[in-house]
Amino acid sequence: MKFKNRIWLIVTFLFGIILSLNAQSINVEGKVTKKPGGEPLVGASIMIKGTKIATSTDPLGNYKITLPKKGQTLIASYIGMSAVEKQIKAGGTENFQLEDAGASLTDVIVIGYGTQKVTNVSGAISTVKSSDIEKSSPVRVEEAIQGKASGVTVIQSGSPGVKPTLFVRGIPSFSGSDPLVVVDGSVQTLDDFNSINPADVESINILKDAATTAIYGISGGNGVIVITTKSGRKNQKTQFSLSSSYGTQSIAKEIGVLNATEYAAILNEGSTTAGGSVIFPNLSTVGVGTNWQDQIFQQAPIQTHSLSASGGTDKMTYFLSGGYTDQKGILGGTKFNKSDYSRGNFTANLSFQLTNKLKFIVNATEVLLNSKGVQEGNWNGIIGEALNFDPTVSVNNTVPNTIGTYGFSNLILQEVHNPLTEMQNTYNSNLGNKQYGKFELQYDVVKNVKVTTRFGYTNFIDNVRSFSPLIFYGLNNIDNSLNADGSTVTGKHNSVSSTRDNYFNYNWESFANYDFKLKKGHHFETVLGMGLGKSSQNHLGASKQDVPFNSWTFASLQSATGSNTSANTQANSGYYWESFTKSLSYFARANYDYENRYLASFSVRRDGSSEFSDAKKYGDFYAGSIGWIISKEKFFDSKFIDFLKIRASYGSVGSSNGASLQTSSIITGGTYNNIGNSNGYYFNGVFYPGSSIGSQINPNQLGWETDAQINAGFDISILKSKVSLSADYYQKNVNNLLFTGTQALFIGTVPPPLANIGSTKTTGLDLMITYKDKITKNFNINTAVTFTTSNSLVTATNFDNSAKITGGGYYNGQSQTITVFQKGQSPGYFYGYKTDGLFQNATQIAAAAIQTGAQPGDIKYKDVNGDGVIDSKDETKIGNPFPKFVLGWNLGFEYKNIDFTAFIYASYGNDIYRAYERNSNYSNKFRNILARWTGAGSTNNANDPRYSFTDPNDNARVSDRYVEDGSFIKIKNLQLGYTLPKSVTKNAFTKVRFYLAVKNALTLTKYSGFDPEISGGIMNSGVDLGTYPQARVYTFGLDLKF
Amino acid sequence: MKRYFKILGLLSLIGVTVSCNKYLQKTPQDAYLISSSSYLNNASDYQTMEVSVYTPLQWLNQLVPIGDIASDNAASGGESASDVLDLQQIDDYTTTPVNGTLSNLWQYAYEGVNRANYLTQYKASNPAGQTVSFAGKEAMYGEVYFLRAYYYFTLVKMFGDVPLFTDKRLDISATNSLKRTAKSSVYLSIENDLNAAINVLPNTQSQAGRATKYAAQSLLGKVYLYQQKYDSAAIVLQSVINANAFSLVNNFASIFLLAGQNGPESVFEIQYSSNGANSYDGADPSQGPGNYQVQQCGIRNLSSSSSLMPYAPGWSTNLPTQNLASAYSAGDQRKAATCLDIAAYVAANPAWNITYEVAPYKNTGLYNQKYLPYIGQGATSGGDPKLNYPNNYRTIRYADVLLMAAEAYNKSATPNDTKAQLYLNQVRRRAFQVNDASHDITSTGASLYTAILNERRLELAMEGERFFDLVRTGQAATVLAPLFKVGKNEVFPIPQQEILVSGLTQNPGY
Repeated sequence: MKFKNRIWLIVTFLFGIILSLNAQSINVEGKVTKKPGGEPLVGASIMIKGTKIATSTDPLGNYKITLPKKGQTLIASYIGMSAVEKQIKAGGTENFQLEDAGASLTDVIVIGYGTQKVTNVSGAISTVKSSDIEKSSPVRVEEAIQGKASGVTVIQSGSPGVKPTLFVRGIPSFSGSDPLVVVDGSVQTLDDFNSINPADVESINILKDAATTAIYGISGGNGVIVITTKSGRKNQKTQFSLSSSYGTQSIAKEIGVLNATEYAAILNEGSTTAGGSVIFPNLSTVGVGTNWQDQIFQQAPIQTHSLSASGGTDKMTYFLSGGYTDQKGILGGTKFNKSDYSRGNFTANLSFQLTNKLKFIVNATEVLLNSKGVQEGNWNGIIGEALNFDPTVSVNNTVPNTIGTYGFSNLILQEVHNPLTEMQNTYNSNLGNKQYGKFELQYDVVKNVKVTTRFGYTNFIDNVRSFSPLIFYGLNNIDNSLNADGSTVTGKHNSVSSTRDNYFNYNWESFANYDFKLKKGHHFETVLGMGLGKSSQNHLGASKQDVPFNSWTFASLQSATGSNTSANTQANSGYYWESFTKSLSYFARANYDYENRYLASFSVRRDGSSEFSDAKKYGDFYAGSIGWIISKEKFFDSKFIDFLKIRASYGSVGSSNGASLQTSSIITGGTYNNIGNSNGYYFNGVFYPGSSIGSQINPNQLGWETDAQINAGFDISILKSKVSLSADYYQKNVNNLLFTGTQALFIGTVPPPLANIGSTKTTGLDLMITYKDKITKNFNINTAVTFTTSNSLVTATNFDNSAKITGGGYYNGQSQTITVFQKGQSPGYFYGYKTDGLFQNATQIAAAAIQTGAQPGDIKYKDVNGDGVIDSKDETKIGNPFPKFVLGWNLGFEYKNIDFTAFIYASYGNDIYRAYERNSNYSNKFRNILARWTGAGSTNNANDPRYSFTDPNDNARVSDRYVEDGSFIKIKNLQLGYTLPKSVTKNAFTKVRFYLAVKNALTLTKYSGFDPEISGGIMNSGVDLGTYPQARVYTFGLDLKF
Repeated sequence: MKRYFKILGLLSLIGVTVSCNKYLQKTPQDAYLISSSSYLNNASDYQTMEVSVYTPLQWLNQLVPIGDIASDNAASGGESASDVLDLQQIDDYTTTPVNGTLSNLWQYAYEGVNRANYLTQYKASNPAGQTVSFAGKEAMYGEVYFLRAYYYFTLVKMFGDVPLFTDKRLDISATNSLKRTAKSSVYLSIENDLNAAINVLPNTQSQAGRATKYAAQSLLGKVYLYQQKYDSAAIVLQSVINANAFSLVNNFASIFLLAGQNGPESVFEIQYSSNGANSYDGADPSQGPGNYQVQQCGIRNLSSSSSLMPYAPGWSTNLPTQNLASAYSAGDQRKAATCLDIAAYVAANPAWNITYEVAPYKNTGLYNQKYLPYIGQGATSGGDPKLNYPNNYRTIRYADVLLMAAEAYNKSATPNDTKAQLYLNQVRRRAFQVNDASHDITSTGASLYTAILNERRLELAMEGERFFDLVRTGQAATVLAPLFKVGKNEVFPIPQQEILVSGLTQNPGY
């Protein structure tokens, strides 16, 4: 080994520094400012190159430093900006102007267990910086990622604080698409984004290919999002930063439903067509009635505030921050106060240089999450009820001698209620408390050898309280638990339930980094380490009946009086369960470059999990990548191209996607299948408990999902780096998919186990083009376009590859299966009948394939298999919920002190299955029914069949009638800011900026529902059950730095 | 400096040592779960598991309304054409393979089969390979065989050819391994199970609700009739009659009161209960221990100022037709005990101020008196009271045994119409509450056969027999014209999921 020699070299080098101190010194002072703008940079670092001598700028951006000798070089640097070097030949004034780094070539990015120069990365990584995050003032971090990182698809939910769908490079797996989230080195999940204050984030790196994710082994299969939070800098004066915004949200669009008169007329038609009587004999008295959407949606406020302080001394640095966000829901958030998401964050990121070689870092965050929610996403959720409820009912109850604030229907007597009554009687509160962070020790053994041990943790306790009151829905309503006079319906009880869910996970990782050079130009960065992890959870819950006064105020286990009797054993009940999983990993990686021209990287990881049987406990994952920076070659001499790199990677990653131990089938006594149903029997009227098999063994023992990925791409910047392009093509082949297959019904009611069945193949293209330029002295432009495609294909399913895994639910008033996961198709595609216009007359019916129950005006379905009969064999692909591509376009201008940002997001080719119609005789209808078939020749549009109370043709069956093109272009964010000139702020502030912003300003789409962005899992993506629409938000904000 | 290095080294070393072997081990016990390998170790384990073989009987409760709604006896009813859609389709003969109720019945019956199979699989030795012997083990297995026969009979009469397996409980790997077995082979298996049950079951059980030898014999008689094996049916049914263990209850209506449960006429009843824990609480109403159909049958928004009015409100489904009501002759006590004419009832009790909502859809004016909900009988604990009524299904009554015997004798290779008349008229005399021959049927041959089948309709109306009787006796096409399509409607469609996932063939026409 040449290791000894190396140490000698280091020692000699250090002596050299000490000796050089004896030379003659000179004094230099000056100012560090931002370019353009000239805003002073507070806390910028000034360092003498090759030494440890450094200082930082004061609140006015000024610095003073003493150079030991002439001819030395000063480096001025600042986080997020490109460092500037100047050789100092004489004492005096030396000013520095630093520029925003952007994708600057000298940047270092955080990868697994280390950092790497951006230029030397040969894998595929997308980066979002804090400056991008600031411009979108997001509530959740994912909002900031949407459209700004290529290769990442984000589908937002409108419900305050709710986790969006996010996937990196397609949905190759059945059981989960969530990427791994690593916050400052500690392992978290996408769910934890609810507790990260976006203002605390320094950068987000999304590791996309095997070369960058294989170091995370089993957790890396869906990509890795590496979040680095802000920290202080050594010898930096305290810098305070305050940002505050206040906005108003409102619904952007309502769905067209019938008014009362139209509704009455349609009901008359439907009833008489079916041979019934006229329901509204006098249409002239009906009027327009109530549009329930107007009643449930209100304007709602949103506010975010955050304050931080950062700085450091020679021995320690700190970043302290506090944040508060409160988003009321547009659905019942203000008038009813039933929908709300508020979050308080407190973060302390501290680092201590304990000795010259030993550094201790502690990051600690405390988050308080407080939320309330309303039932949504179904036809009997509040939005579904607003769409489907009787419009002839008045808002308020006017019927004498009946309790109840809001009106009720005399026609709809079950299931769909007045949405206001539902809202009024919705009571829940959710109080979460999360701590996360890490303790880390770094020890510099010798120069370039660093050992790190790190303990990262997340502890989350969620307290939920909910109350089911006694409700009067209306006269003759079969769901009533209160009678019209306010007395309790016999046998009904109100009840309160409290649950506490506790999740705790830790990861203890120790690794050594060793960077070294061999001969000339051969540079290695290596890491070797291991990790232990455990994640555990426990759940405790209790419920009790008979809350005093039927009131939320008294809805607690303490005041409820229910006690069990032999006749009522459920008046007071509770449950508890717990579980854990453990993991053990070993990993290593070597990054190599030859003169920063030829790049290579190799990583390996061995992962073990407690969830798999001994035979399959461990999985090994490898990846390698190579790159070539052509622009560094001597032969490469182009004035046009500043930088050109080509790169390729191949590797395997894995996933255990929440697999749970199933090495043995489990005996179930008591309730069966966790649905509260009996597993016993009554003999002589006495209950005898039973027991049966409640779970199945996997026929083949569970193992890892393995994910082989190929990536090829290039990075180029041209025209003095004004334009740069990064492009990647990838292919992911996932084998041994872990999922719960669909089993034959003749296997019984025991749920199917998780198994390694099936495989998928995903290909796609990620592109990002940026352009930034200074057009005139005062005018800057900065724009970036990301383009993401992913095309997934199922290549095998279930055991024999033939099965269709189906997903569905109670849609459009029927129990239906809509989505299918099947070989040869994209995952979760829509499956149903194809329509072929309407039957205009009996002759057409007689001439067509046999379609039982068809009458003129009914939908004609396509005889896909051509057997002359319309039956289930004619069902086929009718849509794909996943977009062909998504596109994000960021555009920024700066003119003097004015800045403008626009963010446009587009999704193309995603289909939506409209499933929010209750479709019962008396439920309200949608405006398209006005174009229905009313006689031969009236219309041939299959979306508009005749209307009748009876539907022998089953026009409501799953068909392309309900599939709509969900492509959209959204102006997601517009922001106009103004930074006060220095002449105004003087020395009081370093920066004062005001801005006005509009989120979801405009949506261009053909989709008829609220919002074409519909989040969901793989088997219910794109199924619109009355999704909570994203609000349009007008915001005013203020950023202060001092 | 060295000491830090040492500490770090030491910590890592501890990590490695601890982790290697034990760290990743996990067993079901770590999650406090009992695994199958540690179960079936003693008599109690076997007996407890056997109780659960009965459980899916309760989940089959929608089979009874279907048996009448699919026939001329009842209309589906409900709130509107879009309510209880699964039953509407069956009533209107527009049933598709996507019918939640039918697919549930298929799955629940097979869960019963699998539970029975698991016990027969481990009869000789338990999963650990040990033999567990205990008193009454053979008799207990008699019940298991009976139940498996009952589940397969349910399947075969609803769907025709169905996958047949009796060797073990299936797991997911069996998903695509089975084809449909010919109806005749399924019936053969049912007969084998019932014969095995008959050999070991006691004549009586101390706990009402458990299968007896007579129950197995009566079911076997029915299974023979479904295959037109009249001679065999006559023999086995005669042995039930000869046992003298059952008698017809004089007051027909009283059979269907709570007090009449498991009475002298009861050969086999599916037990339901409204008390105790584990009542249905929200997921699937048909999977509870209470009888869900009872609430379905009730009169909408029925109320009265008098506490004497006994009925609780319900959802107006499974409404007896006027066609059924008019099939009863004057003086037949079964008419009032089967069909409640609500308008007449209100008129007869003016002092009670009865109000109700006329059945909003497919109103017949009649309600299913046999399974009407009564005030105060719904669940008193746990689940929703209205979804958990305690009314047992009178699955096999002695009257049914007599009528089956009459049919068997009438259709035997050497018909014995005297016996056929004897048994038929026993049922008729009870119906008309006479001890003489005034209402006796005296015809013979084909005309007697028609009379017996008609009597089955009147006696067993709203008990889920009618549709299956019409199909097995070949009357369906005539009686249910024009809706009934020969070659299609004899059976219901195989659930769509079985076509998609298991690759089973669909019944013709669906």
